[in-house]
Amino acid sequence: MSMQAETSEGTNATSVATLALERIVRSPSTLVENLPIGIYTCDRGGLLVQFNRRAAELWGRAPNLGDPAVRYFGAINIRDGEGKPISPDESPMAQVLASGQSVRGRELIVEQPDGRRLTVLANVDPLFDEQGTLVGGTNCFQDISELVEMKGRMREGRRVARRVMEALPAAIYTTDAEGKLLYYNKAAERLWGVAPKLGDQYWCGSWKIFQPDGTPLPHDRCPMAVALREKRAMVGPEAVVARPDGTRVPFLPYPTPIFDSEGTLIGGVNMLIDLTEQKRADAQQRGLIDELNHRVKNTLATIQSMAAQTTRGAPGEDAFEGRLLALSRLHDQLSRNLWESADFDAIARDAFARLGAPANGQVTIEGPAVHLKPRAALGLGMVLHELACNTQKHGALSAPAGSVALAWHVVDGRLFVDWREKGGPAAVAPKHRGFGTRLLERAIAHELGGRSTIDFSASGLHCTMEIPLSG
Amino acid sequence: MSEADSVQRFLDRFSVLVVEDEAIISFLLEDMLVELGAAEIRHAATVAAALAELDARRPDLAVLDVNLGGERVYPVAERLEAAGVRFVFTTGYGKAGIDPRWAARIVVQKPFDIGMMTAGLKTVLS
Repeated sequence: MSMQAETSEGTNATSVATLALERIVRSPSTLVENLPIGIYTCDRGGLLVQFNRRAAELWGRAPNLGDPAVRYFGAINIRDGEGKPISPDESPMAQVLASGQSVRGRELIVEQPDGRRLTVLANVDPLFDEQGTLVGGTNCFQDISELVEMKGRMREGRRVARRVMEALPAAIYTTDAEGKLLYYNKAAERLWGVAPKLGDQYWCGSWKIFQPDGTPLPHDRCPMAVALREKRAMVGPEAVVARPDGTRVPFLPYPTPIFDSEGTLIGGVNMLIDLTEQKRADAQQRGLIDELNHRVKNTLATIQSMAAQTTRGAPGEDAFEGRLLALSRLHDQLSRNLWESADFDAIARDAFARLGAPANGQVTIEGPAVHLKPRAALGLGMVLHELACNTQKHGALSAPAGSVALAWHVVDGRLFVDWREKGGPAAVAPKHRGFGTRLLERAIAHELGGRSTIDFSASGLHCTMEIPLSG
Repeated sequence: MSEADSVQRFLDRFSVLVVEDEAIISFLLEDMLVELGAAEIRHAATVAAALAELDARRPDLAVLDVNLGGERVYPVAERLEAAGVRFVFTTGYGKAGIDPRWAARIVVQKPFDIGMMTAGLKTVLS
C-alpha cells in the first residue's frame, strides 16, 4: 500500500511540473526572460520597451523602461571592438532604426557601472507592423568575452612563438605542404645572404645550393623538398649555400614535415645549422694532428736510421724495424680518426698486410665493427704484429698447409679476440719469454685491464684476449 | 719482402739525388740506395742546394723529402719534372700532406723500410 501511495505522489509531482513548463512555453515573455542571451526591444525613437534578465546582467543595471535618458541600449556606455566609445546615435540600434536594415554580428564592448567591460556580439533587427511600417528594433546580444580573450591569447601565443623564432640564432623557416616559403627568421636571412619574397620561392629561400663536392643541388631536390615529399623528418645531408655575394656557407639541415591531428601534411619547418665554425675548427685540428704526425714520423725514421747504423747486421735488426713500422702504421690508423679511435678490423688486416700476402685463404679475419680507443688500438695492434711475425717465422704460416683464424666479438662492452693457428708445426713455448709474450701479458692485462691466455699445443698456437672497450 | 736476400739491385749504376734535411734519415736512405745498387748518391738539405746540384749535373733518380725544415721541396720537383727525371716524395704526413698539384705522385711514408722504398722507386721507374 505504501508503494502505491508513493507512486501516486510521484505522478502528482510530475504532472505539476509539466503544467508549469507548459505555462512557460505558452507565454513567450517568460521564455524570453529566461533565455541565456540578452534581448531588448526599443521603439522607433530608441526608448527601451522591454529587456530580459540576461540583458540587465550584461549591462550591469536595469534601467527604467521608457526613460528618455536611456536610448538605443541599456548599458551606460558602449565601445567598438578597438575600445573607441560609440555615442548612442551611432549605435547599431540607432542605425537599424534609421535604415530599417539588420545589423548582424557586430562586436561591441559593453561598459558596466562598476567599470567592468564585456565583449558582446550584437544582432539588431528592425520590427515592422502588419502594414510594413517600422515600429522598433530588437537586439539579441551575447557575452563573447571569454572567446575574445582566448583568441587574444592565441594571437599573443603566435606572436611569442614568432619572437622566439626571430631571437633564435639558428636559421629557421617554414613552408606550406607544397613547399612554398611562408616564414623565415633573421638568422635564415643572414645565412642565405638574401631576403626572399614570401610565397615566391619553394623548399628553401637560398639563392643557390650545392652538394659538399660542389655539384649543384636544385631546390626541388634539397633536403626540405625530400622531407616534404617523403613525409619524414631528416637530419642532413650536409649541403652548401651560395650567397649572391659569392660567399659559401656549409650547413646541416633538419627538415621536418608538420602534420595536423588527422595526420595530413600541412607544412614543414627547417632549421639550418651553419657549419663554418665547426669546419674551421676541424681543419685546424686536422692541421695540428698532421703536424704532430709529421714530427712523430720523422722522429721514428730518425730512430730507425740510428738503430740501423748502430746494430747493422746484428740479430733482431729486422724485428726492431718491423716493430717500429708497426707502431708507425698504428699511428696512421689513429690519425685518420683524429686520435679518437681506430677500427679494429683495419688494425687486424694491417697486421697481416706485410707478411708477403698469404693469398690462398691461409688467413681468415672475422668480427664486427669495433672502434678502439688509442691505448687499446696501440696495445692490441702491437700484440697482433708480434703474433703475425711469429706465425710467419715459426708457426702455422711457416707451413704451406697452415692457416690462422683471427676472430672477435663483443659481449657487454668487452672485446673477445681469438687467434687460432692450425695445420702448421706444433707450437712450442719459448725457453725465455720474449718481447711478444711479455707484451701479450703486460699490454693486455696491466695496461688495458684485460685478460689473455696463450696455449702452445701440438695443433698450433692458440691465443685469446679480452679487454674492456670503455677503458 | 723486407728480407735482405730478396733485395734486387735494380738501381745499377744510378746517380741518385737525395733531398732530405735530417742528416740521420739521409744515412738510412743512403744505405738503402747503395743496397739497391746505386753508384752515386748526392745529398742536399735545402731547395737552393738541391737546385745547385741539378745545375751541376742531371741525376737518374731523386728522393725528395717534402718538408725541408719548413721549406717545401716543390720547386725541386718542378725542375726534375721539366728535366724528365723520375722521383719519389718521402714524408711523415702521408698523401694528405702533399700539395694537390703533386698528390697523384708516389709518396713513400716515413718511417719506411727497404721494401716500402723499393716498391715506391719501382713504380716511378716502370
